[in-house]
Amino acid sequence: MSEQSVTDFRNRARAWLEQHAPLRGADEGGESGTADIATQKAFQAKLYDAGFAGIAWPKEYGGQGLTDAEQIAFGQETRRFALPVGVFFIGLGMPGPTILELGTEEQKKRYLPKMLRGEEIWCQLFSEPAAGSDVASLTTSAVRDGDGWVLNGQKVWTSGAQYSDYGAVIARTDPAVPKHNGITMFIVDMHAPGVTVRPLRVATGATPFNEVFFDQVRLPADSVIGEVNDGWRAAVVMLRNERVNIGTMGAPRTSPLSYHSLSSLAAKHGDAADAGLSRRLAELYARERSVRLFGQLLREEAMAGRDPGPRGSVAKLAGAELGTFASLVAAEILGPAVAASDSEEVREVLNAALSAPGSSVAGGTNEIQRNIIGERVLGLPKDPGVDRSTPFNQLRVGTQRKN
Amino acid sequence: MALILNKDEEQFRQSVRRFVAERSPLQKLRELMSSGQPFDSGAWKQMSELGLTGLVIPAEHGGAAAGYSVLSVALTELGAGLVASPLLAGTLAAGTLTRLGNPAAEGRLLPGIADGELIVTLAAGGTGTARADGGALTGEFSPVLNAAQAGVLLIPADAGGRTELFEVAAGTPGLEVTPLPALDHSRSLARVRLNGAAGTRLDGDAAAALGFAADLANLAIASEQTGGMAACLAMTTEYAKIRAAFGRPIGAFQGVKHRLAELHTTWELANAALRDAARAADERPADFPRAAAVARIAVSASYVDAAVATVQLHGGIGFTWEHDAHLYQKNAMSQHALFGGPGEQLDRLAALLAAG
Repeated sequence: MSEQSVTDFRNRARAWLEQHAPLRGADEGGESGTADIATQKAFQAKLYDAGFAGIAWPKEYGGQGLTDAEQIAFGQETRRFALPVGVFFIGLGMPGPTILELGTEEQKKRYLPKMLRGEEIWCQLFSEPAAGSDVASLTTSAVRDGDGWVLNGQKVWTSGAQYSDYGAVIARTDPAVPKHNGITMFIVDMHAPGVTVRPLRVATGATPFNEVFFDQVRLPADSVIGEVNDGWRAAVVMLRNERVNIGTMGAPRTSPLSYHSLSSLAAKHGDAADAGLSRRLAELYARERSVRLFGQLLREEAMAGRDPGPRGSVAKLAGAELGTFASLVAAEILGPAVAASDSEEVREVLNAALSAPGSSVAGGTNEIQRNIIGERVLGLPKDPGVDRSTPFNQLRVGTQRKN
Repeated sequence: MALILNKDEEQFRQSVRRFVAERSPLQKLRELMSSGQPFDSGAWKQMSELGLTGLVIPAEHGGAAAGYSVLSVALTELGAGLVASPLLAGTLAAGTLTRLGNPAAEGRLLPGIADGELIVTLAAGGTGTARADGGALTGEFSPVLNAAQAGVLLIPADAGGRTELFEVAAGTPGLEVTPLPALDHSRSLARVRLNGAAGTRLDGDAAAALGFAADLANLAIASEQTGGMAACLAMTTEYAKIRAAFGRPIGAFQGVKHRLAELHTTWELANAALRDAARAADERPADFPRAAAVARIAVSASYVDAAVATVQLHGGIGFTWEHDAHLYQKNAMSQHALFGGPGEQLDRLAALLAAG
């Protein structure tokens, strides 16, 4: 990669975006906004045709064959815009790169170009009711049946399952070996008989996630990603991508818990004479800016060819803790209005505050991130658990009671 | 405006790091503690030979004009090694003079600061005020960096309702400098009393110069603090890998592991904020006050937290005189209090944000 070619690419991207992409509006919250699926599919196809999908993916699978530097440059250029492509975020960020790294030639040719062109939407199916932080203790099973497999079990917290065409699912294929050694990753057709998707209601009352049930779902032999019983490795690859994604996204200026939003809220609802409050807001500004700068530093290092590796967990943890802190500041500004208010604006801030603990859980809890930072960034020894050597079917899992 | 270090900065960092390891290890600080000397003059001479004294001084006055990012890189390494020297004092004095817009004062004082021969200090960073009646100064400042070794003191004083800057030479009648016992042995601090001492008023924009000095103090001290915090974390992480209890290294326990992970996370954020502030000083002057305040706020309390954790996670040994942990704890507490404590920093940032 040469610096000039990255600059040329950046200029081309900027020009294209200015002509084709909607600007991030004042009321625009997340990446996906409220655009419907058809609009999002159409826009992803436009991105693809213009050469801005799969920028760092190989050409033979529909990518542009460029480097991470161009990919990051494109990400930076899109910041001013609200690209209606949120439904593709998971597929392109997690299952896509995993198939690219571990999939067969046929899988790459079959799935990746359609993913990039926005023809097929993907989801990721890892978490289970009894397997969250300890996702390797999952109990969804895939049993051999002739050439293929039969999938049974339940997944939870699945974003986008209701409109997904395919999912990357991990399931237990050998319960008689230690838990990490008996897992396989599969591609599952979300329209197959036996797949049921139900919305999952969260604390705010909204339904941003789903529960997914698999009842005797048939998986063909060629649906295995990587090797049979080597699915944990594939899961680790995918989770690392997830953390880097979550951690470096950063809260948009328009998020109800950003410094920008909360300082306007304080001007309207706060006690102007409260010096403590202005200090808390200044602290929020400092924290928010530091988290954003750390994301920028990681991206610069990646562009310089240094793999962020487990430091994505630092960004993830810092982002989650920022959200928690911002919620406290919001509550301080609102005062008794936290308890009762008929203002739509207050409701919006409270919903964001109620959602904040979710970011300390999604993509690995804060506690799991601290383990990763301690062990893989600082090089501290692992906590030797019994779960690494004991066969899975002799382990205690989830909240089951011992008889 | 890349945050990461460029090749030259990385190389310079390595050479300062080598200097600290070879010429100013922590043993040197312990020697100063027993001898009562404020700093090692041999090491100070080498620092000026390395160019550290003139990094932000224009070439026409004998400096290297290397910029604030390079300065920040150097101070980070010196802070990690708790190197005792009048570099911070000289840097703040030089920064003040370059913003004053007074070519005569620059020509008179900067060359001496650049070659390390003249110690100049700005009476700021603690509490105190002075007023000027004509050229006679009356007031008190405490504590002031390296005032007992300074050849020249820069005194901000109220001259008929306006703050002006005055130059006072050491030994001037009516100037009384009393060294104070410093919590942190790597800092030499003194009380400065002025009883009608004669000072030369320096023409120029004193308000702008002093404002810049406050921002520069934030950048410089945040650099030292970020270095000190990194040293604490490295020391404690290493210990957590080798110290065993209950049959395994203590770093395997989540009580220890998570504390270190949390501190490392705050250090990463502080380091990113510091790199941004250093670049802002060179490239985005309008954003520099905010960026420097953010860098200082991001590291200041966290460094104290890390230094206290260093004592505590080392257990009993960390609480002994022989162990280095208390040197960092004292440095962290002292740094947290000088040139704007936590409340003052937040008020300052709030005011900057309100100004838009």
